[in-house]
Amino acid sequence: MVLDFLMNWLAAIPGFVVPFALAALGLLLIEKAGVLSLGAEGFMLVGALAGIGAILGLGASPLAALLCAALAATLLSLLYAVLVVSLRVNQVIAGLSLVFLAQGLTGLIGTGAGWVNRPVDGLRPVPVPLLGDLPLIGQVVFRQDTVVYLTVPAFALVAWLLARTMVGLRLRAVGDGPDAADTAGIGVSATRYGAIAAGAALVGIAGGYLSVGIARIWVEGMTGGRGWIAIAIVIFARWRPWSALAGALLFGAIEALIPRIAAAGIQVPQYFIAMIPYLATLAVMVWTCLRGGGGSMEPRALGRAHLREDR
Amino acid sequence: MSPALAMTGVSKSFDGFPALTDAGITAYPGEIHALLGENGAGKSTLMNVACGLYRPDAGEVRVRGERVSIDGPKAAKRLGIGMVHQHYRLVKAFNALENILLARGASRYGRGLREVEAAARRTCDALGFTLPLDRPVGLLSVAEQQRVEILKVLVEGARILVLDEPSAVLTDREAAQMLDTMRRLADEGCAVILVTHKLGEVKRYADRVTVMRGGRVVASADPDAVSLSELTSLVVGAEVHHARVPARRIGAPLLRFAALTGARADGLRVLNDATFVVRAGEIYGIAGVGGNGQTELAEILMGVRRPLSGSIELDGAGDLCAEGVRGRGAGLAAIPADRAGYALAGSLSIADNYAAGAVLSGRFGGWFRLDRRAIRSATEAAMAAFDVQGARSPNQRAGLLSGGNAQKLVVAREFADPPRAVLAHSPSRGLDVRAASAVHARLRAARDAGAAILLISEDLDEVLLLSDRIGVMSRGRIVAEFDTPAKRNAVGAAMVHHA
Amino acid sequence: MDAPSETAPQPARDGAAAARAIPPAHPSRRRLGRLSVGVRQHASARLQGAVLAGGLLTGLACAAAILVAAGIGPADLVQEFVVAIVTSPESAAAVLVQGAPLAIVGLAAALAFRVRFWNIGIEGQMIAGAIAATVVALHDIGPPALRLPLMLAAAALGGSAWILGPVLLRLRIGLNEIISTLLLNYVAFNALLHLLYGPWRDPENNFPNSQLYEPSEQLAELGWQNLTWALPLAGVLLLGGWWLLSISRFGFLTRIAEANPRMGEAQGLPMTRVILAATLASGALAGIAGFMICAGAEHRLTQSFASGYGFSGILIAFLARNSAPGVLAVALFVGTLFVAGQSLQVFYQIPASAVQLLQAVIVLCVAASDFFIRHRLRWLR
Repeated sequence: MVLDFLMNWLAAIPGFVVPFALAALGLLLIEKAGVLSLGAEGFMLVGALAGIGAILGLGASPLAALLCAALAATLLSLLYAVLVVSLRVNQVIAGLSLVFLAQGLTGLIGTGAGWVNRPVDGLRPVPVPLLGDLPLIGQVVFRQDTVVYLTVPAFALVAWLLARTMVGLRLRAVGDGPDAADTAGIGVSATRYGAIAAGAALVGIAGGYLSVGIARIWVEGMTGGRGWIAIAIVIFARWRPWSALAGALLFGAIEALIPRIAAAGIQVPQYFIAMIPYLATLAVMVWTCLRGGGGSMEPRALGRAHLREDR
Repeated sequence: MSPALAMTGVSKSFDGFPALTDAGITAYPGEIHALLGENGAGKSTLMNVACGLYRPDAGEVRVRGERVSIDGPKAAKRLGIGMVHQHYRLVKAFNALENILLARGASRYGRGLREVEAAARRTCDALGFTLPLDRPVGLLSVAEQQRVEILKVLVEGARILVLDEPSAVLTDREAAQMLDTMRRLADEGCAVILVTHKLGEVKRYADRVTVMRGGRVVASADPDAVSLSELTSLVVGAEVHHARVPARRIGAPLLRFAALTGARADGLRVLNDATFVVRAGEIYGIAGVGGNGQTELAEILMGVRRPLSGSIELDGAGDLCAEGVRGRGAGLAAIPADRAGYALAGSLSIADNYAAGAVLSGRFGGWFRLDRRAIRSATEAAMAAFDVQGARSPNQRAGLLSGGNAQKLVVAREFADPPRAVLAHSPSRGLDVRAASAVHARLRAARDAGAAILLISEDLDEVLLLSDRIGVMSRGRIVAEFDTPAKRNAVGAAMVHHA
Repeated sequence: MDAPSETAPQPARDGAAAARAIPPAHPSRRRLGRLSVGVRQHASARLQGAVLAGGLLTGLACAAAILVAAGIGPADLVQEFVVAIVTSPESAAAVLVQGAPLAIVGLAAALAFRVRFWNIGIEGQMIAGAIAATVVALHDIGPPALRLPLMLAAAALGGSAWILGPVLLRLRIGLNEIISTLLLNYVAFNALLHLLYGPWRDPENNFPNSQLYEPSEQLAELGWQNLTWALPLAGVLLLGGWWLLSISRFGFLTRIAEANPRMGEAQGLPMTRVILAATLASGALAGIAGFMICAGAEHRLTQSFASGYGFSGILIAFLARNSAPGVLAVALFVGTLFVAGQSLQVFYQIPASAVQLLQAVIVLCVAASDFFIRHRLRWLR
């Protein structure tokens, strides 16, 4: 009984973790370049709609649908980039507006095209030969879909990119000291455009995975605030990729736990459990602040537009 | 020998306002070439053209004899022009090597880092730099950060070095070290251009000097062939008098610092048992190497930082460090060193900045209604009285004022009521000669009216010029006191020997 | 009087001759010329007005274009957004009913922005305020005649309490308030769900709502259409906000707190208290907005009464440039969007979220137009 509950819970975790993880990874990329990204929810919404749209409208395969989700989010992110990088619009205002924009736009297009509540064949689990037959761990880890398998390599790639490549050095420079980067001859705007587009693509895939991979159906506003949680995860992780994966695991595990507790008839205040990730994030923030600089990888220019302006 | 850098007929205007008119400079390999001028004379603008940050409207640039078009920092770098800006362009979270790698570029990160490290160590050894290459530069001292900047342009292969006001933030000793390094680089065949407004530096270190005024070049000369006063008049256009005016009547102690101990934001204790008094009618100058607690002392006196222990008694007002007591209400005026940080709000109007000083006094209306008309007329009167220029109206943003005029605005506000005690922290830093002497005159006038004046400055010349008594601060305490006129060498020795 | 913007150009440093910068050209593009961007230090009032009007008109045009693309004829648009509102008392009243809480959340955002505090947690504060008011209602605290004032006070307290933590953390240890207020939205929302699915679930129909408030706990109707006392309450609060921000000495102090609190501190001005007061007032207003919706419209505590209001408030404050009269105008405008949006939903099957789309488009156009006020463009050859 307890084992069943555990197995059921653990097997469900990746489905919750992957959207968080990919979205947080994308946001991390954007924020490392010094661009605040409160519009994450918007990118996810667009990704979710584009994924389903690609299947229903174009007959795309699930993986191609995820590519469409990435593409659609990137497209929207270019609008965001024009606003905050080129036109130097306040990033909080632009981010919030972007979420509103995406909510309205996806609602309008999704209902207009009649994609609401139409089930699709989504991603299927791909059991890894041999490993998938392992007891316990096989079911939890090795009977997942392609996106789940690709999540950890994606983190490794981004972590390597940021820490060990010139591209990463430039991206971090743009986020930490845009003036210095500019003097060094690095195109601050171009780098930020690139980071926004690439990051948004990841967030878009996270959104597409929600509709194509998990729900296999589209309803309006289906991301249900996951984009905002991804923002919390990035802060929880203090802008470090592997910590972001850990954060996604924590948030995802709790999200997966809550309905199962209720279903099992266990009497616990489930909504208080749902608060834990947010309070934990807050606690991490307070702890980071109290401990002083050093440990936090928060980009110093986060949220600030750049314009070369000598004295 | 063809000049390393020859700029001729360079003009540049911003927003219709000419910053450079037919300006230029010719610097040869092997020389230290000083570019001298007041603030706003166009020195930095000319050099920003040289390093590709600005594009000139007209003019010719030749590097090693060849005509070039410098259309960006990258082009300047390719031509071997490296600039150390006044405000360092370093990524604070990166260490020195990462900063250098960022500027130099590389096709592969790992190999690039190894190459940069080897080159940086070589250069460090050659120049005798001691520098932690693996610490985030944000944790380094200002002088160390400057060394990182110099290292950066050298590793990038610069043969034409431009340093914009390099000694502005350094102590005498650090500045001397830095300039010796420049001498060595010039001897190795680099052309070093030193942008400065310090005449003494020019006389001591430069092989040639180009003087700019109002965006034009007014002279190019051998500094040994012109006298200090000739140079001064070239810079300001007219001779300015530098004479000490001693205090007329010194009274009883008015401002008492007793065993003041305080810590920096990061917890480091930088103020240690500082004890001294400032008497009515005197200027007490604190000399010292930067970072020995001066900033914290000023912040505690202004009321923006709490001491760990000790007190500051202002006669008749009690302990200024006590909860709820504010020096402002007791007649304390403050001219902070960090003008943009503590003295002015650049995005607010001149009138708002002026009113901030007395808004609680009731002069500009009570809590229910603020009297904007009174603010405006008071500001206009103060701008006229204190010669604040460069603003069309009091409603213009204070951030548009030049450094000198902004400082005059601060002084106008602080001296709106005759102060009983004055804190003046590096009051002429970044000001040209004329504005500085206007500020100095105001300080003397307040002193002669009986105020106790605490002058904190890292510019020893300023301390020697203004003070009636000098205290040397080292490691957070006053280690020596001098009556004036004091010997420059004696004060300097006290500063260094206790450090 | 910008929104507290991180993107505001830094005050020019010492000796700032009006120096502008020009980005380097790419050699390949040099022959075509290039666009040079510089900071404009001073923009005349006429230019500002013209550019803003341009941004607003562009936004409206984009919004109209989107609706036309969604299948609504231009004539119908005019009918729904202008004619219906002006000619039908029901619609006009509906705009006022919608506009009242919007104005209050807008004012709440404006107050916080005026001391450079990014209050993203308005929804959480609304929920906290509404919960506090509902405690008073459900437990029949105080005599019935005083019930509504007590609920109002409880809502204000609840809202301030919810913002107190982020403010103190920001003032004491410099914690970023954008994130802390945002996180507390979720904590408040989960607390609300806990109450509505738990102890406060309506015993009559078992829906996850609170019980209906008693009549003495509802804001009474004014007697014209369905207007309630929420409207005069909003009017009084707006008037107070106008006085506070534009007339009083406190308003001046908030401007210094926005522009450079360290300078204010060095001038002996009580910056911490100003920031604290303005943000607590912001939270209190948000709480009152929650009370207003629950006691004036829903007459009970529901799950989603606050949904969307927080961000609307921020966008309203932004469009209104943090001024109370501006908040009034923009809130009425957004109220119109809501009312027209409802009829579009009924008659044209346009989803309700389209209203948010319109808001976003207009805000983005206006925000983008700001660029042309703050910057100067030139085409260089």
